[in-house]
Amino acid sequence: MKLKMGVDIGGLTLKNPVMTASGTFGYGEEYSDYLDLNRLGAIIVKGLSLEPRDGNQPPRIIETASGMLNAVGLQNVGVKAFIDDKLPCLRGIDSAIIANIFGETIEDYVRVAEILNDAEGIAALEVNISCPNVKRGGITFGSDPALAGEVTRAVKGVSRFPVIVKLTPNVTDITQIARAVEAAGADALSLINTITGMSVDIEKRVSHLENVTGGLSGPAIKPVALRMVWEVVNAVSIPVIGVGGIMSARDALEFLIVGAKAVQVGTANFLNPGVTADIIDDMERYMSEKGIDDINDLIGTLKI
Amino acid sequence: MKPDTSATVFSQRETTRGHFLMVLKASASFRKSLPGQFVMVRMTDSNAPFLSRPFSIYSVRSRGGDTFVEILYKVVGKGTEVFSRLKEGDAMNVLGPLGRGFDVPSICKKIVLIAGGVGIAPLSFLAERCEKETSGAEIICYMGAGSSEALAGLDRIEGICSVVKISTDDGSRGHSGPVTELFGHDMDLYADNDSRIYSCGPTQMLRSLHKLLKDQPVACQVSLEERMACGIGACLGCVVKTKSDGLVRVCKEGPVFDINSADFSEHNG
Repeated sequence: MKLKMGVDIGGLTLKNPVMTASGTFGYGEEYSDYLDLNRLGAIIVKGLSLEPRDGNQPPRIIETASGMLNAVGLQNVGVKAFIDDKLPCLRGIDSAIIANIFGETIEDYVRVAEILNDAEGIAALEVNISCPNVKRGGITFGSDPALAGEVTRAVKGVSRFPVIVKLTPNVTDITQIARAVEAAGADALSLINTITGMSVDIEKRVSHLENVTGGLSGPAIKPVALRMVWEVVNAVSIPVIGVGGIMSARDALEFLIVGAKAVQVGTANFLNPGVTADIIDDMERYMSEKGIDDINDLIGTLKI
Repeated sequence: MKPDTSATVFSQRETTRGHFLMVLKASASFRKSLPGQFVMVRMTDSNAPFLSRPFSIYSVRSRGGDTFVEILYKVVGKGTEVFSRLKEGDAMNVLGPLGRGFDVPSICKKIVLIAGGVGIAPLSFLAERCEKETSGAEIICYMGAGSSEALAGLDRIEGICSVVKISTDDGSRGHSGPVTELFGHDMDLYADNDSRIYSCGPTQMLRSLHKLLKDQPVACQVSLEERMACGIGACLGCVVKTKSDGLVRVCKEGPVFDINSADFSEHNG
């Protein structure tokens, strides 16, 4: 009996629920020596802005207990170079390619979304309204329900693709933001982005990061991510994608059981560039052992 | 398609105080390793330390169909402290060989190595290769360390080089002072097209070397070190400033750079 691994996310059909998280997978090509990219449900590329960005000055990363902080600062080649130089390499791949976009103004978001309308080989947009690393950037949009709704409505208004909005955990009540984004027309939500954190060098009495603060990722944030996904699943009716500290199939299954329709694997790619294939294999093994034929029969089955 | 990253600790011993030589039995694919390339190493069954650690390759050897990757390292933090307690048979993951290595010249009169501390590791691997592949080369090493006890890798490099000159910060062996000072005394011997200089060590040392070589025509490559998460160009954590190309990734565009392309201005590093 062949397992049914496909999931539908707001008009986007994936052959399995495992995606790679934006900012941890480059533009895909970096991983092609280590992983058969065709195995993935989706590849979400590094966040794209209207113009290329250099990002923050180093040092940009520091290890923490069960995780890491990063302050890369959304370094990227810009949307035009992505379409011309990076996207062609991804076209032959049998995985959904999702473009993650961000901007500093609503006009920026709209312009990037418009430019991507002319690109071939993209399946959906993921809108980053939550990156905590850039001083003037996403944090304003993602932490205010009205602004989050406004940027969602603006992108949705111009894009020909399904629109996933990625939420920040650095808010008092994530369900408020989720509802506002749903009301503004988002096709799906992904959460969580990194949790803002710090780490100090006590010899020099400086932050380990040039940017002072950074985004915490890795297994340290998984319980928080799981709780927030569960809260949001209960607050909205659009599909939710679970992200945060997933290292194994066991972690991914936890997110599906609380109601996520798919998952994104991020920091784990840094430790093992082939980890996503292992996660898909192990998920299938779990389903076979439990006699579950269709992954959709597992989603949202948490017993309370 | 997926490379075999599984490895086991074949042996490990403390060579000099606080310095360890770990030999990993790894996949045959490591035989293609070039001097200056590095590996990302982590323990298979533990997430503490969480991230893999980058190490320059000290040497790669084949014996009876098996491949051994050698790493020479100093205990400087949590990761290396945990690694130093690993024993024969412990399961490891080793990704590599990664990055751009040193240019190994096919012909050259003088190969000059300038090592600071455990920076000797990639230079020793380079010396092994030059001994085999560079015709007519005399290999000379300037080796600096904090004290005589910290001269890790000395025996091996002495076995390859025609001359090894030593300096220590505390004067306990050889010249008393920085290794760049010792090299500076001899610099006129190498200031021409017949010589090539290679260096690896602390940023301050590379900065001094850069100053010394500023107006010299001699070619010099340096290996840089940075914290990194992935080692394959994705995390963008290991970037350094360069003069012409802005921020570049140590793991992908490096770790070996021309000394003149790296930005060694005081505010950097």
